Amino acid sequence: MAMNLDYAVRETWTNLRRNIVISIASVLCVTVSLSLVGVALMARQGVERATQRWQDGVEFIVFVAPDASSDQIDAVGSSLEANPLVERVTYFDQQQAYEEFSEMFADSPDMVETVTPDILPPSYRVVPTSTDLASVEELVQQYEVQPGVIQVARSTEAIVAIKDVSDFLTGWALGVALVLLVVAVLIILTTIQLAIFTRRREIEVMRLVGASKAFIRVPFMAEGLVQGLVGALLAIGALRIFQPVFENSLPSSDQLVLFSEFTFSGVDMLWTYLLLGGVGAGIGTAAAAIAVSWFLDA
Amino acid sequence: MIRLESVSKVYKGDVTALRDASLNIDKGEFVFLVGASGSGKSTFIRLLNREETPTTGKIWVAGKDVGALSGSKVPFLRRNIGCVFQDFKLLPSKTVAENVAFSLEVIGRPRSVIRTQVPAILELVGLGDKAERFPNELSGGEQQRVSVARAFVNRPLILLADEPTGNLDPATSVGIMRLLERINKTGTTVVMATHDRSIVDTMRRRVIELEHGDIIRDQSRGVYN
Ligand SMILES: Nc1ncnc2c1ncn2[C@@H]1O[C@H](COP(=O)(O)OP(=O)(O)OP(=O)(O)O)[C@@H](O)[C@H]1O
Ligand SMILES: [Mg+2]
Repeated sequence: MAMNLDYAVRETWTNLRRNIVISIASVLCVTVSLSLVGVALMARQGVERATQRWQDGVEFIVFVAPDASSDQIDAVGSSLEANPLVERVTYFDQQQAYEEFSEMFADSPDMVETVTPDILPPSYRVVPTSTDLASVEELVQQYEVQPGVIQVARSTEAIVAIKDVSDFLTGWALGVALVLLVVAVLIILTTIQLAIFTRRREIEVMRLVGASKAFIRVPFMAEGLVQGLVGALLAIGALRIFQPVFENSLPSSDQLVLFSEFTFSGVDMLWTYLLLGGVGAGIGTAAAAIAVSWFLDA
Repeated sequence: MIRLESVSKVYKGDVTALRDASLNIDKGEFVFLVGASGSGKSTFIRLLNREETPTTGKIWVAGKDVGALSGSKVPFLRRNIGCVFQDFKLLPSKTVAENVAFSLEVIGRPRSVIRTQVPAILELVGLGDKAERFPNELSGGEQQRVSVARAFVNRPLILLADEPTGNLDPATSVGIMRLLERINKTGTTVVMATHDRSIVDTMRRRVIELEHGDIIRDQSRGVYN
């Protein structure tokens, strides 16, 4: 269909300006809801990274000294494997430890540079048969005193608590965000209905002289798209400001053994931003499409 | 150009606005639709540009079966039909030239065409010097000229006019009728609903008279009644 872009841009801009107050309301509602979605996603990604070592039922990790003899390392391993209270053991050699370290600190290359595989401790990741606190504690104490072992790290209550709190909060945040998104859709829909009403005479003339439905629709859809997209961009901006605050307020590398640092990878964030942009653009366009269809098909 | 076969239009609430109408209107004809208020003139016109669909019967306009036309084809039908109304339907926020240009713009005509066609058509309707005025700065007759310019700028095959002189004094009405006559001379078929006896009587064109939805008279070179 022949449509000059010039026309669509001009009409869209006129509409937005004419209904500036309610347009701002639409945009802000999208911003708030998408910010919430973003925070929830960031929190989840962060917690996942921070507790990466503690996935799949690993309850404690036996770190062996980097300079321990291979006899000592094997002795710890076979003892663990022979232990009836241990269900599964995974050995992480120094190279694997280094890979994990590099991944955790992917965003701090200078930190990775200071480390080489030979200074990192190899470790055994242990899944016990029972997660009962007392029996795990007993196992931990038993292996702490094995020759060659430098430390046994437990999946502490802190980690469990962080996971629980994070699940709870992200669940709620996503729920509230969903409600706000619905509100945003309704506000955009109303905004577009208002824009259509303001221009009903123009639309009447357009239909009379044979403008296609698509032609009538496009400026309104573009208006919805702009509202959703601007809302999403503001949300992304807010998240960028919020990100360092978030990172600083959470456990730091002091507890390196328990956590990896609570950071966000650039790749994860990029996907989050793309998701938010897509959702914003999508709901804006969809709400506008509904409003126009109601009007044109009535 | 226009052909009706046993066309009836029943609105909801069981109002029959047109009953079993059959007729032909050839290319280049000028037809007056007359009849008392509520006799079905506007309904007749709205059926032709597919603002309404017939309850029964078939309508062909410019070779197309209008009733069977899918929604997406309707715009293309309307590009062949210009419409003029009693209340002008001009956009108050646009100038005269913009009002006319708008109708070309929204059907995707290129800007080069708009730039040449708009001044030419305004010249034709005698408003060459008022292109930058807004509708509320014009007299009723001038506004109706703008509306005719808008309807004709795309050179439609058919011009439908529903009481185009209804809001105008007799002298101004004559001016509008001269304009419609000129447009008709270019080969455009004109169908005009009117209550204006003196216009019908002086122009002596084909007259179709409706009464309660029935065609009670179809007379070439006819008079009002
Ligand atoms: N949209 C509609 N819904 C229901 N009834 C309608 C509708 N439009 C017109 N009618 C009825 O159909 C009949 C014919 O109306 P129409 O407007 O065609 O008459 P008309 O000849 O144009 O009258 P006028 O000279 O007053 O303009 C009237 O009884 C009217 O009330
Ligand atoms: Mg009428």
